[in-house]
Amino acid sequence: MTDFVTAIVVALYFIMLLGIGAWASKKIKNTEDYLVAGRQLGFWVFILLMIGTVCSGMSLLGVSGLGFKAGWPTIWEQIFVPLAIGICIIFFGVKLHNVARTSGYVTVQDYLAHRYESPTALRSLSAIAGIIVSLIYLVGQYTAIAIVLIWLFQIPLWLALLIATIVTMVYTAIGGLYAVAWAALIQSLTLIIGVLVMAPIIIWYAGGFTHINEYIGSINPNLVMPWNPVGAFAPPYVVSFALLLGLGLACAPHVINNVLAIKDVKYFKWSPLIAFVIYGVVIFLLKFAGFAGLVLVKEGVFVLPSVPNAQDFIILYGIQSAMPVLALWAIFAVIVLSAVMSTTDRLMLTIGAMFSWDLYKKVIRPNAPDKEVLLLSKIVVVLSAIATMIIAINPPEMLAILIWMGIGTMLATFAVPLLAGLYWRGATREGALASMSLGLVAALAFGFLNYFKVNVLGFDFATIPLHFSAYAFIVSLAAMIIVSVLTKKTHEKILDETQTGWYISKQ
Amino acid sequence: MFGLPDITVAVVGGVVLVILAALVYWGLTFRGHD
Repeated sequence: MTDFVTAIVVALYFIMLLGIGAWASKKIKNTEDYLVAGRQLGFWVFILLMIGTVCSGMSLLGVSGLGFKAGWPTIWEQIFVPLAIGICIIFFGVKLHNVARTSGYVTVQDYLAHRYESPTALRSLSAIAGIIVSLIYLVGQYTAIAIVLIWLFQIPLWLALLIATIVTMVYTAIGGLYAVAWAALIQSLTLIIGVLVMAPIIIWYAGGFTHINEYIGSINPNLVMPWNPVGAFAPPYVVSFALLLGLGLACAPHVINNVLAIKDVKYFKWSPLIAFVIYGVVIFLLKFAGFAGLVLVKEGVFVLPSVPNAQDFIILYGIQSAMPVLALWAIFAVIVLSAVMSTTDRLMLTIGAMFSWDLYKKVIRPNAPDKEVLLLSKIVVVLSAIATMIIAINPPEMLAILIWMGIGTMLATFAVPLLAGLYWRGATREGALASMSLGLVAALAFGFLNYFKVNVLGFDFATIPLHFSAYAFIVSLAAMIIVSVLTKKTHEKILDETQTGWYISKQ
Repeated sequence: MFGLPDITVAVVGGVVLVILAALVYWGLTFRGHD
């Protein structure tokens, strides 16, 4: 579907992002400016940054694809992904932000090192685990960008990846969090307005809300039920899915680091509600566009391509069918790219921060001057982009597993050490080390066994009733409790400094 | 309603309403701390 107008629209979008990067680069004076935007993010920039960070490649392609495939039982995705922003702000953000203002945290690893009195071991483990899970997630994002560019321009995968990598890498590397946040403002607004306009057109084209529900219910009554009777999206799975999305995304390093960058803690008052409503409406419309796509396919309006991940193309084919105007497809392509790139840039910056700040500045070379750390941050952003691009030259059907594996690993690795650190005074350094390391290993193991349907000693991992990450989360939780009870407690002074206790905020 | 079974409307609508109520409560009661 290549045409001149499409190329111009996409090129203008890319140029605008590079312009934001160039503008932002002039505001960078030190590493703190680069990694936490000088702690000067305003209310709406913060909300749209959070939406942009959570809204990933899966949000447009995968959400509607899953709706197309499994119907209403997957609707919980539309509730718990937007809720993840509120969970992040309320249960992690308020306390982290308050402590960070006096302790000067730049990354969430700064908090973990302080709270658990582990400036080297836990910080290093946390940073390395964070880099691993962010890279897994990042590969999924680049694959999503490539799907869109290939669809749009019918170009080879390597070229699509190269274009996406260069643009995202340049504005992120030169502008840091200022560039990522202001790009997210534009990208999230593009996404919100675009989906609010285009999704209803697809839904209307398929016959409207009620007709779509009645139609898919006539194909299979389970498609309009709140859960499936057995297997994936049965009630136990839905509970683990809620845990995965609500908590897993909330504690992901690239999401949680955003709370350190705001100007005023009062922003946390209404931002959970506003983010839930705005993003909830957007992602619900995307899901419903997937239901509409199912009606259109069953009615023979269009046929999906014969590829393993055909459902991920449903929103793209739906828009082509409902709005046969080339210029509109180009705008829609920009919307999809906005969704994907707003997560990609934040992930790359987070990897840069974890390596240059947590590993290099805090462990390897504590006396390194700020300019050296800043330069290293930029170099790591570039290297992570290039490494991910090379890894992403894989079949696109890996998209879903890569993203689920990424979020699942984040849940199993970070949720327990962070929650226990913030709220339980009995959580110890050894407990956090055990919880994080075993959670990481268990998530990778369960994810592998589940995805490749391994049968061990008569136990079939393909049919486990919960999402694989829930088992790894339980391992992480058990390790934290057992090891903390058996090991030496953290000093009371540190617990007071880090505001550890069963409260969100001392008011 | 909306071509959906009552259980779907009740369960999904109920969960969304509970979440909205909780977030409104948070907004009304949060005072921040510096």
